[in-house]
Amino acid sequence: MKKRVVIIGGFHKVKSLSASLMNKGYTVTAINANRANCELLAEIPQLDVFYGDGTEPYILESANVQDSDIVIALTNSDADNLVVCELCKSKFGVQKAVSLISDPDKTEFFIKMGVDSVVCEISSITSIIEQQAFLDEISTLVPIGGGRIKISQVQIPNDAPCVYRQVMELALPKNVLIGCIMRGDEGKIPRGDTVINPGDVLVLISANENESEAHRVLLGRDAV
Amino acid sequence: MKNENVTVIAGCGRLGAHMAEVLLAEGGGVLVIDRQNDAFGKLGAGFDGILLNGDATDLGVLNEADLKRASALIAATGDDNTNILIAQLAKSLYNVPRVIARLYNPARRSINEALGIGNISPVLLVTREIADALNIMRNEEAE
Repeated sequence: MKKRVVIIGGFHKVKSLSASLMNKGYTVTAINANRANCELLAEIPQLDVFYGDGTEPYILESANVQDSDIVIALTNSDADNLVVCELCKSKFGVQKAVSLISDPDKTEFFIKMGVDSVVCEISSITSIIEQQAFLDEISTLVPIGGGRIKISQVQIPNDAPCVYRQVMELALPKNVLIGCIMRGDEGKIPRGDTVINPGDVLVLISANENESEAHRVLLGRDAV
Repeated sequence: MKNENVTVIAGCGRLGAHMAEVLLAEGGGVLVIDRQNDAFGKLGAGFDGILLNGDATDLGVLNEADLKRASALIAATGDDNTNILIAQLAKSLYNVPRVIARLYNPARRSINEALGIGNISPVLLVTREIADALNIMRNEEAE
């Protein structure tokens, strides 16, 4: 059976998200509290549109949210999104609730309240921009303190001398710190006993031109 | 240690302001939060509770209000969903023992009740009062 997704609130995001979901074979329903938005959304072929406040249980019921597999709350109010997700999960037994959130500080709270997945627009976009900056500029990312301090990233290849060694064993020069290790999707803050794996991306914070010496210690050669 | 007597009121509308004055008159400590400074004008001139200008859904503001040490929170902003959010933050992040939310629309009560949050719905209260008043009148007519 086709999986069904109900999207509450949003407009531009609904247009692109529903197109992408329907393309993947999902049945998509949109609930929107703005009549003009509803009329425009209704022009999208195969998209079911309900006009009403999606934080109202009777609107959710009339859109048959109980028969959906996933609900996605996209309103611009964190409070509304929380209420939508809680109602859908507790009152209508929906398996998975996804919420957009504008205040990054509330991400953990939303998860604690039973929201399955929380997407914070601000932190997502910031991190994408950050990653882009990382990609373009392999070595030095951020010079601060008049350029005396540099934040740089180093990707650890399989054959690097530091692989499978603990951070404290590495003879890193003074004034260089491994600030963060990115492994897969995760960012770890290393401790002395953290072991470096091949494929890790290390974020170095270094002062006084010690960065290249650090690259030699980690990679056994000068960084590109 | 919980500060036995401080009630935090989110939203200084008619209900929030009146509630603040009543609690203060009863001898309790009161801290009122509102996004708009003007809202505090509803409080009487002699009001000596604490006023905090800020958004009560903001964790920074709730920290500033020392919500962790409050004994009670009343969510009385003009928006039901905001009240639900504030009440749930108070209950599950700040462990406030007594939390009450004012909900104009009683349809969303269940999500708060599951967490032990009290809900006050003006419509339900007024309906009951009117029904009672009608019954009293009817009984008087019968006598």
